[in-house]
Amino acid sequence: MHARTLEAPATVGSSEVRELLKVERLTKKYGEHTAIADISFTVHEGEFVVLIGPSGAGKSTLLRSINRMIEPTSGHVWFDGMQVDALDKKGLRELRRKIGMIFQHYNLVDRLSVIENVLHGRLGYKSILTGSLGMYQAQEKERAMELITMLGLEEHTYKRADQLSGGQKQRVGIARALIQNPRLLLGDEPIASLDPKAAKTIMDYLKSIAHTLNISMIISLHQVQVALTYADRVLAVRQGRIVYDGLPRDLSLERVRDIYGADAGDLIIDTGDRHVD
Amino acid sequence: MSLDKSESIQNIVTQSGRLAASGRSIKVKPLSKSRLTMRITMIALAALTIYGFFVFDYKNISPWQGTIDMLTNFKTMFLSPHLAHLTFWEGAYAIVVTLAMAVLTTLISAFLAFFLALFAAQNLSNHTVARSIQAVAAFIRSIPTVLWVLIFAISAGLGSVAAIVGMSFHSISYLTKAYAESFEEMDQGLIEALRATGAHWWHIVFQAVLPMSLTYLISWTFMRFEINFGVSVAMGAAAGAGGIGFDMFMASAFYHDLREVGAITYYILVVAFLLEMLSLRMKSAVRGKMI
Repeated sequence: MHARTLEAPATVGSSEVRELLKVERLTKKYGEHTAIADISFTVHEGEFVVLIGPSGAGKSTLLRSINRMIEPTSGHVWFDGMQVDALDKKGLRELRRKIGMIFQHYNLVDRLSVIENVLHGRLGYKSILTGSLGMYQAQEKERAMELITMLGLEEHTYKRADQLSGGQKQRVGIARALIQNPRLLLGDEPIASLDPKAAKTIMDYLKSIAHTLNISMIISLHQVQVALTYADRVLAVRQGRIVYDGLPRDLSLERVRDIYGADAGDLIIDTGDRHVD
Repeated sequence: MSLDKSESIQNIVTQSGRLAASGRSIKVKPLSKSRLTMRITMIALAALTIYGFFVFDYKNISPWQGTIDMLTNFKTMFLSPHLAHLTFWEGAYAIVVTLAMAVLTTLISAFLAFFLALFAAQNLSNHTVARSIQAVAAFIRSIPTVLWVLIFAISAGLGSVAAIVGMSFHSISYLTKAYAESFEEMDQGLIEALRATGAHWWHIVFQAVLPMSLTYLISWTFMRFEINFGVSVAMGAAAGAGGIGFDMFMASAFYHDLREVGAITYYILVVAFLLEMLSLRMKSAVRGKMI
């Protein structure tokens, strides 16, 4: 993966790094129901953005509108110089291979080995024939081994994916996303099915990947505490709209209550020691 | 059925309905309109069946005597089989011919059905295309294999070609439905995950759909192979396609040799048994191994 040097001064606003993703007035309607409405935000290179909000607030829809797994009703998305909403089929493939995605249920091919699952991340670069037959180049396989080792899975390389624990499966999912050479990683509640220890491991990996490989992250989470610990920036969505966009340390308990609903007074939210500093 | 009879049925039904309404018993399955219709139909059919036995034209043959005669024939067939018009090896060759027809039919139909099923699966294909393929396949399936064989016999003439084409026709539609349902079982998230990497549709088919549904495909194919073997036997006689079926037809209808019919039945039984064993072996091998 090519280490990207931080581009000096700011293209937009006061930020010091380059803007990677820009979402403008994005809306998705399902008939009468509005899943997300009028959402605008930008993400910079290497930025770790955590998306919070109650279930059904539109987090998943928002994430999938970015790589057009869901077609937005209106609005624009710019990613790395491409206007996402105007892409044709070929352009869309090019876009998708620059954006990795990880999922709550990992979505691995259970019957294939770890390394085969990781190599699936290269399919976006392959021709129909070589991809279908699973013929990968030597560099691709080397890169797969590197990532597997980096994520501590080397002893499981040839195990079937269904023999792994949840945390290990998610690491395979991360490796599959990273082998794409992505510039952005979307995570749809990647730790929601994991125990706290495995969840922490995954979050630590994601955080270090964001900073060392300079890959931006947009990760949706249910645990506010985790969001506050890891995020460079928090985006909160409620009823399809962004209700908070800012630093985690500015997110007060009152605002969290606001995000999750007025009568969520005794919500199990532990904002931790983040406000003491 | 007479009017008073159906009324009494109505009474029974409403009575049991009233029982539930009285609140003494709690019904797990409430008596809905469709269940009521179902029940009336079943009772009517049962009554008609019993009525039928009293009005059959038995042509002075007592059913009892008929049953005994049939069992005697079975005894002759299975307890004293012999081969008169063909040697052991001729019989073995004939069964290989029958097997070959079944293998060829299954191979052709499995190959074509795989691709058709990809377009017939709701989660992999366009909704309209999927529906149309399913509809055509259902139409083909609803016409029995024998009729397809006879339809193709018009152009190909009676023989193995018509038999294989006709049998394949039915097999393809059967396997298309079975395969498509196996594909639809697949976790939608998996398809989404690969689509999100920029993978092509064919990549998803061969890298995710195929490995995930392979055991299903193999069991369905083998099941159809067993059916095809049975149909090949019948087609040997009905369509003059040759093989053991034709010999059996000759033995029974031409030579009236019950013992030879018995011997040929044993041939078929042995092969059917071997096929069953093979399919069990294959399934466990596929399940155990990493595929």
